[in-house]
Order: sequence, then C-alpha cells, then structure tokens
Amino acid sequence: MYPGRLLLLALIMLSLPLAACGDDDAGSGAGTADAPGSSFPEVEREARGQTVRWWMFGGDDRINAYVKDVVAPAAKKKGVTLRQVPITDTADAVQRVVAEKRAGKTSGGGVDLIWINGENFAAGKKAGLWLEGWALDLPSAKFIDLEDPTITTDFKVGVEGQESPWSRAAFVYAHDSAKVKTPPKDFDELLAYAKANPGRVTYPAPPDFTGSAFIRQVVAAKGEDEAFAYLRQLKPLMYRKGKTFPKSEAELNGLFADGEVDFAMSYEFGFIRNEVRKKSFPDTARPFLLGKGALANVSFVTIPANAAHQAGAKVVADLLLSPELQAAKADPKGLGSPTVLDLSKLDADDAAAFEDSSSGPYVLKDLGEPVEEIAADEVAPLETRWKREVLRG
Amino acid sequence: MVETRVQRVLGGLLATAFALPLLVLVVRAFADRWRAPALLPQDWGMRGIELAFSGQAAEAFWTSLLVAVVTTAVALVLGWPAARVLGERRLKRPAIAFLLLAMPLLVPPYATGAGLTEWFLRLGLVDTVSGIVLAHLVGVLPYVVVVLLSAFGPEVTALEEMGRASGLAPLQRWRWVTLPAVAPTLAAAAFLGFLVSWSQYGSSLAVGGGRPMLPVVMLPFVRSDPQVAAALALLFLAPAIAALALTARAARSPL
Amino acid sequence: MEARGAARLRAERRRALLAAAPALGVLTLLFGGALAGAARTSLVPLGGEPTLDAWRALYGDPAFADSVRFTLQVTLLSTLLSCALAMLVALVMRRRSVVVRALLSLPVPVPHLLVAVAAVLWLAPGGLADRALGGLPLTLVRDDLGLGVVLVYVYKETPFLVLLLLAAMGEALAAREEAAAVHGASQWQRLRWVVWPAVRTPLVVGGIVVAAFVLGAFEVPLTIGPSYPPTLSEFALQATQGDLLAGEGVAAATLLLTAVASTLLAILAVRLAKDAAGG
Repeated sequence: MYPGRLLLLALIMLSLPLAACGDDDAGSGAGTADAPGSSFPEVEREARGQTVRWWMFGGDDRINAYVKDVVAPAAKKKGVTLRQVPITDTADAVQRVVAEKRAGKTSGGGVDLIWINGENFAAGKKAGLWLEGWALDLPSAKFIDLEDPTITTDFKVGVEGQESPWSRAAFVYAHDSAKVKTPPKDFDELLAYAKANPGRVTYPAPPDFTGSAFIRQVVAAKGEDEAFAYLRQLKPLMYRKGKTFPKSEAELNGLFADGEVDFAMSYEFGFIRNEVRKKSFPDTARPFLLGKGALANVSFVTIPANAAHQAGAKVVADLLLSPELQAAKADPKGLGSPTVLDLSKLDADDAAAFEDSSSGPYVLKDLGEPVEEIAADEVAPLETRWKREVLRG
Repeated sequence: MVETRVQRVLGGLLATAFALPLLVLVVRAFADRWRAPALLPQDWGMRGIELAFSGQAAEAFWTSLLVAVVTTAVALVLGWPAARVLGERRLKRPAIAFLLLAMPLLVPPYATGAGLTEWFLRLGLVDTVSGIVLAHLVGVLPYVVVVLLSAFGPEVTALEEMGRASGLAPLQRWRWVTLPAVAPTLAAAAFLGFLVSWSQYGSSLAVGGGRPMLPVVMLPFVRSDPQVAAALALLFLAPAIAALALTARAARSPL
Repeated sequence: MEARGAARLRAERRRALLAAAPALGVLTLLFGGALAGAARTSLVPLGGEPTLDAWRALYGDPAFADSVRFTLQVTLLSTLLSCALAMLVALVMRRRSVVVRALLSLPVPVPHLLVAVAAVLWLAPGGLADRALGGLPLTLVRDDLGLGVVLVYVYKETPFLVLLLLAAMGEALAAREEAAAVHGASQWQRLRWVVWPAVRTPLVVGGIVVAAFVLGAFEVPLTIGPSYPPTLSEFALQATQGDLLAGEGVAAATLLLTAVASTLLAILAVRLAKDAAGG
C-alpha cells in the first residue's frame, strides 16, 4: 500500500480541525427584523451579547482610533461587541451584501453596519438592500434637524429612515501660505492662476471620490456644459500638462507635500490639520474655498436588511449619534469633524462641548453657503463624461 | 570557465541592485517626516510602528499566517500524488492535466474570489478560515504541483528501487530515500505556495472580507498613510523572509 | 502474455489517474465553480433577467479596446525584458555564492503591492532618485507608455525567473559544458547547444507564468500606471466604482475575457516553444 496515502489522510485530518477552528461568528443566528414600533429598550435588550461587524474604510488612523477607543467601549457598556471590518472602498461592503442577496441569504448576513453615502447608498436602496424605517426610531434621532435637506436626503435620494447620519463633510482646498499669499477665490481665478503658473495645478481623476467631488463643484458653479469646457481649457495648463492625474486624494496630498503642485483638496473638513499633524504638510498650509461656499454632505451608517445583528447595529448607530460621542468626534484633538446634530436641540451642557471644533488656523470658520450635492444617479454619467471629454479628448 | 573578477563584481552589483530598493520601505516605516528634497528622513519616529500594531494588524497577521500554513499543507498533501504522477509521466494525456493546473494561474485572483463568493455563501463558508483556505487553494495548488513535479522522474524512481532492493519498508523508503531526494524542490514548492497564499488580496477580500487578513488591512493605508503602510509592509515581509530562510536550509540539508 | 501486459498497463494508468484525482478534482470543482460564478455575474444582474448587456457594453466601449491594447503592450514588454535579463543574470550568477544569490532573490517574497510602493518612493517626481540625481531623464511614474509599470514588473519577476533558470543549470549541466569545452566547443557554441536546451523549458514556462500574472495584476498599475488607458484589471475595478450594480457585470465580463486571453496566450506560447524545439 502506498504509505503516502496514509500520510495524506493523516495530514488532511490534522489540517481540518485547524481550519475549522476560528469559525466563531459566522452567521450566528438569523437576524430578526424588529416588530414595527418595538421600543428601544427592547432593542437594547436584544442587542446584549451581539457582535456588530461594522464595515468601513480602514486607512485613516484617527477614525480607527475613534472607533477603537471611543465607540467600542461605549458599545461594550451596553453589552455589544463592536468589530471594525476594514475595507478599501465602501463598494466592497455593498458588493458583499449584493452577493448575499444573489445567494438568497435573507438573514444572518455578515455585514451589520456600513459607513456609506451617495451613490453606494442609492444603489443599495434601489436594490432593496437596506433595513427600512429604523433610523428615526433611535433615541438620539430627536437631536437632528429634520428640516435639513442634507439630513433627510442623500445626494437627493430620500433617506426615509434607511440610514442614520453620522458625520458632516465640507470640501475645502489647501495652499501653502508661504508660497501662495492669496489663493484663487473661485474657479475663474483658478484658471487664471494656472495660466500664470502652468503645471502647478491638478486634481485627482474620477472615479476617485475627491476628484469626482471637484468636478461636481465646477458643474454646480457653472452648469454642466460650461463646466466641461472649463475643464478642457484647464487641462493643458495642469501638472504634467494634464496627460496624467493623481489617482487618489492621498496621491495629490503627496504631490502638494513635496511641493510639486500648489493646491490640495479634500472632502475632509479638517484634513490640513490632520496632514500637518502627520508632518506631511508644511506648517504654513492653510485652507480656502473656491466659490461662494463649500460642497457639503453628510455621511451615514446603514444596516443591511439581512444583517445578522440588527439590534446591536441599531444600538451602535444610536451611540454614534449621541451627543457624547458626537462631541468626542468633534474634538479637534481627535477627529475634529463637524457634528450632524442640531445644537439648538441639545441642552446647554451638551451643546457647550461642541464649541471648540472650528478653531485653529487649519480649519475654516466660515464655510459660506453650502453647495448641495447632485442627485446620486447623475454622478456616474458625469464621471463617464469627464473620462470621455477631458481625460481622453 | 574562468571565474573572472569582473563576473564576481558584476554578480555582487546585480545582487545589490535587486536588494537595495526594498530598503527604502524599512526607512519609510521609521520616518515620521520625509519630505523632498531630503535624502534621509527629517524626523525619525515610531508612529508608523505604533499605529500599525494598534489596529487590526495583529489579528490579521495571525489569520493570514494560519490560512497560509493550512493552505500550503493541504496543497502539498493533495498535490504530492499528482506531482508524482505527472513528473514520472504516467498519465496518458498529460496536456489536459497541465491545462487544468495552468488555468487558475492565468485568471486574475479577484475573479476567482468573486466567482466563488456566491457558492461559498450558500455553503456557509464565507468569512471562515476553511472557506478562505479553499479559495486560496485554487491559486496555491497549481503552483505547488507544477514546482513539485520537476522533482520526480527516473532518478528518484531508480533510488526507490534501490531502496526496495535493500529491503526497506515503504514508510522507511519514503522517509529515507524519497523525501531527501525531493527535499529541495519540495521546500521550494512549499515556499512558493506559502507566498501565494500569504500575499493573496483578491480572493481574501471576496471570500473572507469579514475576517481581516493582512493584505486587506494593509491596502487602505497604501494610499492614505505611506508610513503606516511601510510599517505594515515590514510586518508583511517578516514571515515571507523567514520562510525563504527556512526553505534555503531545508533545500540544503538532508533530513 | 500480451493481454496481461496490456491489462497491467491499463491498471497502471488507472492508478495514476486516481493518484492525480484529488488535486485535479479539487481544482476542477473550485475553479470551475469560480468561472461559473463569474459567468453568471456577467450575464445576470441582481434581481434581473439574463442579458448580454454587460458584454455589449464592453464591446462598444473604446476605453476597453484601449485598455486591451495597453495591457498587452505592458505584458509583452515586461515578459520579454525580464526573460532576457533573467537569462543574462543567471549566466553571471551561476557560480556565485549562496549569499549573493540570496540577495538577488530578495524581491521574490515581496508582494507586488509593496514593490510598487517602493517604486513610487524611488521613481516619482520628488522621489529618492530625483533627489539623489537631481532629476530623472525619463518620466517613470504615471507615464503614458507605462514604462514605470514595466520596470517594476521586470524588477520583481527577473529574480523569480533567475531562480527557475538556476535550478535547471545545475552540476550536471556544468559537467556537460566541460565535456563540450574539452571537445573544442567555443563559448557561444556551448551556450547555444548545451545550455540553451537545458534552460529553454523553464524559461518558457516561467515566461508564461510572468505574462499571465502581468496580464491580470492591478496593484502596480494602480500605484504607478497612467490615468489612461487603465489595464484590464484596473478597468474592471473602475467599472464597479461607477454604477455598482451594472458595473459588477462589466467587471466580471472583463476578468473572464482576461482569463481567456491568458489561456490562449499560454497555449500559443507552449506550441511555439515545442515547434522551436523541433516537436
């Protein structure tokens, strides 16, 4: 008999227990959809002992620290274990939920909570992926302003209780005040600057998130056709004559930090403060706006309809929205991002905690008239048009 | 066949040229501030290391290691008989076997992972170590078989014959004749298999996204925080280089 | 007598097939399943009817054609250059010490992503090479021709190919070369008639592996490739970043096509190699 075969059997038998060990929270139990109108204490009771898997971008150390040091302990106090599942792109999480839907997995899903907004949310809503009507039942939901269109609509798509707000974003630009004393005030001045200083201006290429937002601002300021004419005019005056673009915001930040270009940009309101803290941007970096106001949006957390631990996810979403955690997030020593809460709805003590968030030379106190986002389904066609007319054309 | 000094110098230069560029990753990991035009970092620091180890990286490291070791073991066990059969040319139509072995290597790994996700979801294998092992196996098994088969052939068969003629039992033959004879190639096959699984991003994300693996944890940092990415890179490289050293030793010493 | 021999041969063949079955069976199951899954994603959008929309979108997209051309260009260049370089390096490295060989093989265990990151640190404008030399003559990061991408792949794959070649250039080969030299063969003749036949197969096989890998990889082009055209895998990735649900189908179709192309190239290469060897 072939001794190898015995060994084969032995090794397989040895490997299997090793492989099987560690399959702990795979689909633990069917996710129960709460009965409509079930009170939150019931939800909290059900959430005890659950492990919530929150799929979110994993490349920002401050957000990771916030989740690990602020959110997870708060969740632990309520008996919920929070696990951050790091991904590179929100689409990764949505694709997993889509795959689960294709496989007919209507409960016990592996994604409990997703940090999401815009097109990803809209695509999921259209496909019926998200749990419905839960966000306004959260206790902390009484602190948000329901008249605010940036809270009730997400890229002009109705939120309808399918996602709960978490973070505000405002699109700002950066310049080095040691090199550029007065930055351009609007897009026409930017074009003039590029004419006077060819090769010093660039923006990330869509479909990168930041580059896409830049395009949207130009469109909001000028109207679509004018905007594309402008971008085509700008192209040969850009860095590397516009033949190539940075593929991400991080890459543009690197170019700015190395002094290759004169401006950086980000949807993250406090990004200059963050990059200076990372000793990447020079201390003399300062924020500015192009146009009358900053492009602003809100990002949310959503719960897939088939999530295994819906109660736990709701508890976490509520915690994220609570004044305590929102204040911790607004703390300039940490994340320093603006709150989604309506300060007028908080009592005096809670509201006082938010006073410091817009301080320091690296953040703008006045964001002007916020520019609204376009409809979610218009984003992809804009990106395609950019690729066709500006990148290739 | 004169060994000229030129050849020796050239050899040394080539080796350095290939090894040196990677040193920059070590430097970047410990550089808190490294802006142009400085050739060396302006500020050294442990920020990268601290952040790299504070998050999911530790858990991801062990999960990736477990998966890589199990995948390699299973691939060796499954692949040994196939490699033997192919290496000794005992199949009537080896071309079909070779095509089957080659195809997974020719398909982008993300496609394999994404294609398996639905099946694995139905089987409850998603986000489990077993599931990730199976997904990795698609890429590792072919490499292992293709490398291992070159070890077998008439020489090994002849040696085994001599072993049998000397009265060795089958298990003894395997331990004292076959294994030492194929040890270098076996080590190379195991090493390559380990590497393929260890570096796997596409199928790790598709089938095991919910269970952090080191390449998946690392990728977001590559674009947004090069210092942390470089620190994670060092974490990533350590087992790979250790495996290389182990392989070199196994290849040289008989058991 | 003969019948027994034939029966024994058949039994032999059957045993051989059974031995290979576990590996081949597992592969067929897993890989076949993966292909089937990818095909299904490309043909059936979520909650919809089977449709050829994704394939038609691909066919009509000029960006896809540009992507194919660019990917093939980068693949061919990378493969040919690394094969040629590996051959030369192997010849030099044949009799070098273990330490030197180990240094040379350092890039092998390094994942492509890390090599690309290191490449950016070195080759980007403002990168180390720029700072050390005061400026590079060529643009190597995000350049139109993808030269940076080719350079990284050549850097990464050459040591791998060298290892394969060195494995074939063992002592037996050295002995044969000695014998040839004794019979008066020149350096070139020894290379052509003794060394080349021994390394031809590992070189071709290695070349196919490298080509197939470059065809499908995306971390390197993502980090230092040009904005346009994207490589096929980048194209698939971008498809999902736009309209997610429709993009999934396009991405799956792209990856399937890449797989088919790789397989055809491999079969072609093996055929050519066999013909060159004289059957």
